[in-house]
Amino acid sequence: MQMTKTVIQAELPPELATRARSFVEDGWASDFNELLAEALRRFLESHSSQLTESFVINDLQWGLHGND
Amino acid sequence: MATTESPALIVVCDAGPLIHLDEIDALDLLADFPRVLVPEAVWREVQRHRPTALANPSLVIERLEPVSPAPSELQTLSQVLSLHSGEWQALRLVLEHPPALLLTDDTAARLAATSLGIAAHGTIGILIRAIRRKQRSKQQVLSLLRSIPSASTLHLKRSLLDAVIREVEKQP
Repeated sequence: MQMTKTVIQAELPPELATRARSFVEDGWASDFNELLAEALRRFLESHSSQLTESFVINDLQWGLHGND
Repeated sequence: MATTESPALIVVCDAGPLIHLDEIDALDLLADFPRVLVPEAVWREVQRHRPTALANPSLVIERLEPVSPAPSELQTLSQVLSLHSGEWQALRLVLEHPPALLLTDDTAARLAATSLGIAAHGTIGILIRAIRRKQRSKQQVLSLLRSIPSASTLHLKRSLLDAVIREVEKQP
């Protein structure tokens, strides 16, 4: 199945771009696009809205009822 | 406003809470913890983005570099969650000072803390705790919470912030 893709133009700090290119050149990702997509996917997974909300609710309960 | 008995926990700060609390003029809320530790990488980050947070006369901040080797579980979590150097050092400092509390507004860092059995809270928790610790009145804390979208760089979904505010309003 052909996957639809969106083209995004982004600005990266030169050092970060250099490290990312080296990572691709070393064979850890097939190309720069795959690396960026994977990085973005991982960020969104680890910063999921549901998870963030659960931490804020936890803060609320601790703030109101904690003992430290 | 008077503070109640001092809590036993020391805190290790990531950059977020230092910056966000300073932005709304509430950094003094950390002053009733016996020690406030800031790892070197976090210090540099805050110095770059919000230097006033490191020069607040109401708060004594200890600038430290973690010295113990990081446990393998933390190394793995750091890679999987792509933790930044500040978050990585903060977690290491917490592990060196048990049972320290990690203060972070970063979801990934907090997820890593949870996985390691480390207690972690963020700016919202510190603000609401101020009522319980009698550092601020409920009305003062509500005012601080309402100021977050306009006065701070803490990104929070508006409906969630409103739900938090409503819950605080319900308190006696």
